[in-house]
Amino acid sequence: MADKVCLQPCLGLRKEAVLCRQAFYVVHEDLRAGKTELGCGPALNANVQEDLDFIAMYPVLAVEACDLDCATRLVDKKGKQAARTVRVPEMAKELGINLDSLPEGDNISPDHPAVQTLAKRVAELVDELLAAS
Amino acid sequence: MAEEQDFKVAVLSCNGIGRLVSTVVRLAGYKIKQMRPDTVVLLSSGRLAVAEPEHVEMLRKYPLLVIDGCRPHCASFLADELGKKPAAKIYVADVMAENKINVAGEKRRELTEKGQRLVEAVARKAVEEIDRVIADEMLSTL
Repeated sequence: MADKVCLQPCLGLRKEAVLCRQAFYVVHEDLRAGKTELGCGPALNANVQEDLDFIAMYPVLAVEACDLDCATRLVDKKGKQAARTVRVPEMAKELGINLDSLPEGDNISPDHPAVQTLAKRVAELVDELLAAS
Repeated sequence: MAEEQDFKVAVLSCNGIGRLVSTVVRLAGYKIKQMRPDTVVLLSSGRLAVAEPEHVEMLRKYPLLVIDGCRPHCASFLADELGKKPAAKIYVADVMAENKINVAGEKRRELTEKGQRLVEAVARKAVEEIDRVIADEMLSTL
């Protein structure tokens, strides 16, 4: 049974990607500290051992900003499969987050309600993956 | 004629997530785009890592400025993997040392004024490099 989940974010530049990464910080540092690792896409691509270990040791939750699914495909490229892939636009719709209200090309505060709402949902997905592993 | 050319520079920052510099380079990328909106194309490391065709085409089309946040130099690795030699490179630690900026105590999830100073310094350095690369490209056509 895995004791952690690897959070693999889209590392794009659009606001959906920023929302995702900020939610990941909240999950990793506040909501599920000790039960998650942050998977860094460029480091994984560059074969940084820590990031290779994360996808080898833990189930991967990939959260994508769009349907290109780059985080999921990167994990595939390294010979593993994400345990679950979800997309920010669909989660936002489900959670009532208005993406139009978020800034493009800027940071989004971790205290922003959209970040907190998404983070709570991601934390639930972490629990589901841990329970299933 | 020079004015008929499409003089742009592609900027590839690592855009990682694990470290403070991940946030610094991402925010610097946005700042660079604000400072040179007509001459900068921001590239996504995520898309390039999976060789998304539209992004790979932009990487190949324009001279490249690489911004590496931390020691593995992942943005440089990515450019090399795709066979692109950068026209210029920036390493955040160099900028930090040149400008004597101390970011101890900063948090990756949200920068304060200290972290923003490093963002500004990286963006300024990048714009200097971008202007130089474009001047070099322009002169090579005359």
